[in-house]
Amino acid sequence: MDLPGAGDADLARRIAAAGPAGAPEAEAELYRRMAPRVRLYGLRHLRDEQAAADLVQQALLVTIQQLRDGKVREPERLASFVLGVCRMVAGDIRRGRGRRERLLRRFATDVPGAGTTADEPRLDHDRLAACLESLGERERSVLLLTFHAERSAGEVAADLGLTAANVRVIRHRAIARLRDCMDAAEPRP
Amino acid sequence: MSVAACRAPVDLQVLLDYWLADLPPGDEERVEEHLLGCPACSGRMADLAALAAGIRRLGSQGLVRAVVTADFLRRLVDEGARVREYRLAPGGSVQCTVEPQDDLVVTRLAADLAGIGRLDLVSCDAEGREQGRLEDIPVAAAAREVVLVERIDRIRALPESVQRVRLVAREAEGDRLLGEYTFHHTPPRSR
Repeated sequence: MDLPGAGDADLARRIAAAGPAGAPEAEAELYRRMAPRVRLYGLRHLRDEQAAADLVQQALLVTIQQLRDGKVREPERLASFVLGVCRMVAGDIRRGRGRRERLLRRFATDVPGAGTTADEPRLDHDRLAACLESLGERERSVLLLTFHAERSAGEVAADLGLTAANVRVIRHRAIARLRDCMDAAEPRP
Repeated sequence: MSVAACRAPVDLQVLLDYWLADLPPGDEERVEEHLLGCPACSGRMADLAALAAGIRRLGSQGLVRAVVTADFLRRLVDEGARVREYRLAPGGSVQCTVEPQDDLVVTRLAADLAGIGRLDLVSCDAEGREQGRLEDIPVAAAAREVVLVERIDRIRALPESVQRVRLVAREAEGDRLLGEYTFHHTPPRSR
């Protein structure tokens, strides 16, 4: 099987078929492609880089072990399974249970590639500063107030005396302009 | 490696709302499951998250000139930022500088903003000639001041100089001056 070209469900089936012996290449490939997605879940819910990195390791180690043990009944719904694991692990991390150490002791040396951090997009901060400057005043204020503490449209609206709907429109327009500006500086592949 | 295109891409507005925890719970679960299974949409979400982190980082470093709120400043101070603040009343002036340890330089310009539709902040030289204008700046109706974070790298680069700032209401008849504020800037080396 061409692993990079295989679907997530194909990888899951291959790992499950190998059983306890493991399928190192498929496991490494699944880890590599899922890690950035799980990291996003972690950043969104835990708002902390280190906690998100912990979540990546723990959630994917559990997922791969469950696949090896034949406990994932619907490999074609792997995303749904991983989401459930992410929720459980994020809850554990919030509660600070020390599950991380137990899991790592048990599985970490077992899965090739486990422990490597997920790639994150690189950003030219000088360019971003210049692009922010090209926005209108309301756009810049809304983005800064929004993203500094991940505040909702309603919260920013209350700060600035706008409506939530207005903040959403400004926010959306500002992000679109910012992305265009960043893309103009560095064309995407 | 190229990323397979998504047949039902998540809308940018939905991605934004998801990131800001602004989606109803059912929608949030649907988006999360999609992102965990879709390299294309999770890639777009990652770009957006990187942009958000970049904005936060530049804001914390004082590298975004923007009108903010008193609450925003309080949060920065609570996080440990060293904020140099200058509060001025209309017609006021201040001796100002920036020190190496400062993270942010903020001006707080008091003014009667009641009933103002559109507000501009005009930067002028010592003789009062307009050098630049922030148009239609956002302020809450109940606000009694404009809180402006200056770009600290630009302040650090300023020579000894006088800068004037005006708040003007843009009205059908033209600009109405709400207040002028004068800054006598001295770089730290020559103090």
